[in-house]
Amino acid sequence: MTLAIVLVIVAAVSLAVILRLAVSRSLQVSAGTSPAGQIQPLDIAAFRNLTNPSEDQYLRRRLPSAEFRRVRRERLRAMSSYVQVAGKNAAVLVKIGQTALASDNANTSEAAHQLVDQALLLRRNCAFALIRIHMALAWPFPNEAAAPILRGYEQLNGCTLLLTRLQNPAAPVHISANW
Amino acid sequence: MLQPHSLIWHYLWVAPNVLLLTLGFLLFRRRIYKRYPAFLTFVILGAIAQLTIYIADVSPAIDPKTWWYLFWAGLLVEGTIKFFLIGEIFEVTFQDYHSIARLSRILIRSVGVGLVLASAVLAGIAPQDGRFGIVSGAHLLEEAIYLVESGLLVFFFLFSAHFKLALSRPIYGIALGLAVSACVHLATWAILTNGGLPNSQRTILDLLNMATYHVCVLIWFYYLLVPGRVATKSIVSVPEHSLEVWNQELERLLHQ
Repeated sequence: MTLAIVLVIVAAVSLAVILRLAVSRSLQVSAGTSPAGQIQPLDIAAFRNLTNPSEDQYLRRRLPSAEFRRVRRERLRAMSSYVQVAGKNAAVLVKIGQTALASDNANTSEAAHQLVDQALLLRRNCAFALIRIHMALAWPFPNEAAAPILRGYEQLNGCTLLLTRLQNPAAPVHISANW
Repeated sequence: MLQPHSLIWHYLWVAPNVLLLTLGFLLFRRRIYKRYPAFLTFVILGAIAQLTIYIADVSPAIDPKTWWYLFWAGLLVEGTIKFFLIGEIFEVTFQDYHSIARLSRILIRSVGVGLVLASAVLAGIAPQDGRFGIVSGAHLLEEAIYLVESGLLVFFFLFSAHFKLALSRPIYGIALGLAVSACVHLATWAILTNGGLPNSQRTILDLLNMATYHVCVLIWFYYLLVPGRVATKSIVSVPEHSLEVWNQELERLLHQ
């Protein structure tokens, strides 16, 4: 009977998880709001500083080891926050890209597909990077977990700009005052 | 009313399978089957298997042993097709996205192997219910199939939700119907196999299984045949601050 109870609980929890995901999906579809507003700004210069291995080496040389370990943990926690924001932004870009996938324009559809693929790759790498960062918090070893996230975020940049331009060529996309 | 061979019992066994055959015919006519061949196979063979077992059940010419052999055959056919169908759900959803296609294949195989091992262990420690081997074996196999099926489908929903992937309407409907059916059947077969219930109470659980399956068939009808709302192809505007940051990055990369 114990086995039956365990399996019934497993089945009930599974059903609850599936129905919760199904309801949240239906609510998202019916809301029909643009997800673009959910993108959070990310300070890429600061992020690059955190992922730079030479910064780590510099701090190791300059600080006493106990102080260095404390600072390194702080930096890893900050890195974790940045990676989480990058992952959330990637999820928003997946949604944005998917809304444009059904476009009649082949170029727009192709750009949307590229954006979704890049955003999925970034989200996948964020999950792996978070695991590695938390491992580095528990066990200190050389950590470059977030470096691929930075590169992925930079690649997403190009995909998003391309899609935005294809969808609305008249939109004032500020490349640079120098261009 | 809630007895074997009552009117509701006949209805709940026959109606969902007749509806499934109708769904199969409509999918074939509308050429939807080309995208989901495993689902069409599941719909047609599953319905034929269930109707064959039903006819064998009500026919006085079929002895109990033959009926259980038929039940076993139907169970094996249905179980095999269901796993192909779950593979099709994963393939259709993730194959277009190279960045996660390989990861999804590795994970579904790992989760599948883990679930098969778990169900084998559960079958090994399940208490003997004193029934004939052919009966208790069928119950254990049902429990194992639904355990693996519901585990894989929960994993599918969690995996696609993690990546915020919007599922296509037919795939969402197929997966939702299968998942609801698998979870309810897992709970009922767990009680039927391990609970030591008297026959009178087993019938209630049989009826619950049949009613759930009926609901799931209606879910498949709705999601595969009723068109969804047309998505508005509105222009997506990315917030200014993000573009500014990304533009600065692009500029820096180009000047490196």
